[in-house]
Amino acid sequence: MSARRPLLKRLLRDRGARVGLVLVLLVVLMAAVADLAPWGPKQRDGGLGEELRTPPSATHWLGTDSAGYDVFSRVLHGARLSLLTGLLAVVLSLAVGVPAGLAAGWCGGRVDGLLMRLTDVLLAFPSVVLAIAIATLFERESARSTFERVLPVIVAVSVVSVPSVARQVRASVLQVRPLEYITAARALGYPTSRILLRHVLPNCLAPILVLSTLGVGSAILTAAGLNFLGLGPEARVPEWGVMLSGAKSQITTAEQWLVLPPGLAIAATVLGFNLLGDGLRRALDPRSR
Amino acid sequence: MLLYALRRLLLVVPLLLAVSLLVFALVSAFPGDPCLIKLGQHAPTPAVERCHLELGLDKPWLERYGDFLAGALRLDFGRDFFTSEDVGAVMATKLHATIELAFAALLLAWLLGTWLGTRSALKPGGWSDFLGQVLALGGTSIPVFWLGMLMIVLFGVKLEWLPFTGWTAGEIGPGVSYSTGFLFFESLFRGEWAAAGSALKHLVLPAVALATIPLAVITRMTRSAMLEELGKDYVTTARAKGLPERLVVGRHVRRNVLIPVVTITGLQLGTLLSGAVLTETVFSWPGMGTHLVQAALQRNYPVITAAMLLFTVIFVLVNLVVDVLYHLIDPRLRTPRPR
Repeated sequence: MSARRPLLKRLLRDRGARVGLVLVLLVVLMAAVADLAPWGPKQRDGGLGEELRTPPSATHWLGTDSAGYDVFSRVLHGARLSLLTGLLAVVLSLAVGVPAGLAAGWCGGRVDGLLMRLTDVLLAFPSVVLAIAIATLFERESARSTFERVLPVIVAVSVVSVPSVARQVRASVLQVRPLEYITAARALGYPTSRILLRHVLPNCLAPILVLSTLGVGSAILTAAGLNFLGLGPEARVPEWGVMLSGAKSQITTAEQWLVLPPGLAIAATVLGFNLLGDGLRRALDPRSR
Repeated sequence: MLLYALRRLLLVVPLLLAVSLLVFALVSAFPGDPCLIKLGQHAPTPAVERCHLELGLDKPWLERYGDFLAGALRLDFGRDFFTSEDVGAVMATKLHATIELAFAALLLAWLLGTWLGTRSALKPGGWSDFLGQVLALGGTSIPVFWLGMLMIVLFGVKLEWLPFTGWTAGEIGPGVSYSTGFLFFESLFRGEWAAAGSALKHLVLPAVALATIPLAVITRMTRSAMLEELGKDYVTTARAKGLPERLVVGRHVRRNVLIPVVTITGLQLGTLLSGAVLTETVFSWPGMGTHLVQAALQRNYPVITAAMLLFTVIFVLVNLVVDVLYHLIDPRLRTPRPR
């Protein structure tokens, strides 16, 4: 545990990381208090047609959208979905990318060749193009809950980021493998699984941590894009990309300000994770110590 | 040099084969019966069966892949499920629109990025350095589709300076019969100045929005490459012999900076194409991106397949060209590497 304290200290000394941390904590707070929001995420207010849309007021802090939903409450609930999307996508891509990278770096030879050619194929696609196909592949008409509806996009985003995780882990393993302490561990007759988990993996953690933090940001960004394109959940679901897609149809009307809240929320969240990731990179880099 | 280019080209072939296999596997694994999508959920059984035969769905999977590959090589992707148009021919005009947009964005990002990067390296801590850092952060954090919408609201709706939709032959150059989808280039080529001007106006907003993505990376790359080169001995020599700073930078440093920047620009093309899908949707740009999204939403199988394949082939080929170009600009790499 003592090794972690200097890291946190170094991180907090970095201005960019501090700003990033504040932004990320803000989004976490938004997600945490979403249930205290004045209106439910699917609760409509007001009459019909034109009357549904109201400008910001005391009852609706950010007004209501064309379906009569309270924008402020939906932005809060959107924080939940975005954090869920970003974190789950990164966890999924780590679950596939880390073992693949370990296997490629440790085994070398044919295993490495095969796995790296696979990443080549995945990297040959522009990421959004591949993500669109994967989201379509996992889409089910029968999906009922909100989670089931956002899952295809989460899977799509995680598949797209697997190659970079696998390559990073492989590169770290290749750096560690020829070191003497690994040779010593092998000479002691430790099983491969123990060497990989106890000796190799801990030394790959720093780049994985940086990549994951930045990955949460880019996963949220890509997912919002896919949802904006209409490949995610339908308009009722309080998701920032979906909200922007709704605002797009109002862009020439008086309600064009609806563009601001969800977009600002996405930008602030992604910026937070990017700043935090960059700060972590600087804090973990032995050269900058 | 030629040998190197040929060798790289040969390496691309298996990659593209693998890509085509993945595209075909993905699309054929889509849930639901393509014939029910084509003919509607309540189509009569004989019609559905006839459609299965037409699309060759009764054949084994591998044979279908073979047919698909043979068709793709002849640029024959079948007919659109809903409009019955030739998918390849429609894709060509869409491709032209995308190329014009991507080219404009890349040109803009390149000019602005190298200028800003150079400036901020020459005057660290100045306003251009600050602007470069802001752009670098914004470019990776601000959703390009949101930025596009903000620009539409400000410059399109509020100020009414620029059009934000309507990239069609009828709108750009009424009376001009275009034979390609390159509305700007073809207007220029035909000497239709009014149409070319109109096309340029239509290009501004989407191109600026799309340019922000590569701009961030090009600026950062130029700045760091520039700083690295400025610290080298030949720069000290050039300065010591009294060469004006303008020539030190213009004649010596810039040429060396070009190498990493060209590479990074090529690598950015993937994100540029990804961004194009989103930007096109925001600006209703009739390019491959909107076409792909529409097709994905309607499960229009032949169009999805063709668009995915085309996007990827472009990406892979441009990377190949950049790689060869890289060898061309850097004479140090020209001797063949020992294998």
